[in-house]
Amino acid sequence: MARIIVVTSGKGGVGKTTSSAAIGIGLALKGHKVVLIDFDIGLRNLDLIMGCERRVVYDFVNVINGEATLNQALIKDKRVSSLSILPASQTRDKDALTKENVGKILEELAKTFDYIICDSPAGIEAGAMMALYYADEAIVTTNPEVSSVRDSDRILGMLASRSRRAELGLEPIKEHLLLTRYSPKRVEEGEMLSVEDVVDILSIPLLGVIPESQAVLKASNSGEPVILDIESDAGKAYQDVIERLLGETVEFRFLVAEKKGIFTRMFGG
Amino acid sequence: MAAASIEFKGSSFTLSVLHLRTSALADIRADLIKKVAQAPDFFYLVPVVVSIEKLVGGIEYQALKTLVEEFNFTFVGFTGDVATEQRKLIRELGFSFVNTTKVSTATKTAIAQESVTEIATSAECRLYTDKVHRGQVRSGQQLYAKDQNLVVIGSVSAGAEVIADGNIHVYGSLRGRAIAGAKGHHKAQIYCQNLEAELVSINGNYWLSESMQQHWGSPAFIHLTDSELTSSKLI
Repeated sequence: MARIIVVTSGKGGVGKTTSSAAIGIGLALKGHKVVLIDFDIGLRNLDLIMGCERRVVYDFVNVINGEATLNQALIKDKRVSSLSILPASQTRDKDALTKENVGKILEELAKTFDYIICDSPAGIEAGAMMALYYADEAIVTTNPEVSSVRDSDRILGMLASRSRRAELGLEPIKEHLLLTRYSPKRVEEGEMLSVEDVVDILSIPLLGVIPESQAVLKASNSGEPVILDIESDAGKAYQDVIERLLGETVEFRFLVAEKKGIFTRMFGG
Repeated sequence: MAAASIEFKGSSFTLSVLHLRTSALADIRADLIKKVAQAPDFFYLVPVVVSIEKLVGGIEYQALKTLVEEFNFTFVGFTGDVATEQRKLIRELGFSFVNTTKVSTATKTAIAQESVTEIATSAECRLYTDKVHRGQVRSGQQLYAKDQNLVVIGSVSAGAEVIADGNIHVYGSLRGRAIAGAKGHHKAQIYCQNLEAELVSINGNYWLSESMQQHWGSPAFIHLTDSELTSSKLI
């Protein structure tokens, strides 16, 4: 059975697409067959982060309208062969998607893939609802600041009431909290909510904490998902996320600010 | 011991009261003729009490009794909120004086108010059943326990709203809005394990978070004392 995972947040700019890309590649590297779907119709971004924007011929909406087959639209990743991307359309809007036609495509994909990762658009409108409707699991991406946490809370309410699982009275969507852009130093200075604060407010299991990192911006601009940057904090943190998603227990890293050594303190760091 | 052959017990009956507005017997006779003519059978042997409350001064009591009986009423006695001397006089003349429970308008209003309070109290004492919600109440969600208490086993997030006609219990943090006694119930209360609410309201009296600082971040309950919201430590 394919696991349908939605990466969602409510608020924009918190790292949904970055996380989708990292998790997609991470799972594929573990040998799973993975497809990444960009649900942000009209604001196509996932292909950029994945570095395959020049290979987009057909997109999600083309497939829905019957203008192309799934196989024509799916882009195989050049780095990991078991990973495919279904890009969004840049020229249409979110109304192109309906529950019925999205359901059909997911059903089709579920025959070939182990993991279907749905990269949700921001907001709580039709597009975001479509991305989460068929989900079995949800990765709620949140920044450690109040407005992001509030929006994530709203999305969690939607997952519990507006999804297919909720409507059919099935087992609820499995929720995971992914805290991104975390800066232990700023938490210590009281400028940011701590992991404990966020977990307390949202009361869902913590899947990972991704530290604020220069590597993420660099990765986005170069189309190389940050998980491939195995030297970076963010890359390592995403690798931990993959382990946890696959059921392993991994200790959380990067939760405390690095102590400055005596030399850096003396000579400046 | 053999039971007594008789027994006295108090009972209530509905009796017709003839209210007199004048002591002029001729006028009374004229009006009685008209009234009885409308339904002669209805008034036949009907027990009647004569109220002299609206009369200024007395009346010829014996003559009145005879007049009433002339129309086939069964005369019972006199009634009305009158001076003790007059009552005494009536008794001395050999008539019974019947005391009514509704004495004056002032007392009437007092009684009416009393019964209203009584009804209100019984509404508050009504046993509300519980509506139980398991899990978080998330931002943007609204829960309403109509004619019930609301029990939330979980937290109420900021931006969420819980409403009950009875009490509200939150076994978690209350960070959103809580409105108890929504239909008007001043004894409604709000209990929570961690008070960090945006707004609490009981029977229309509300507090924003700045008014809750005394028990902020701790287990507390909110109630009304003399129409003023009060917070108290829960444990």
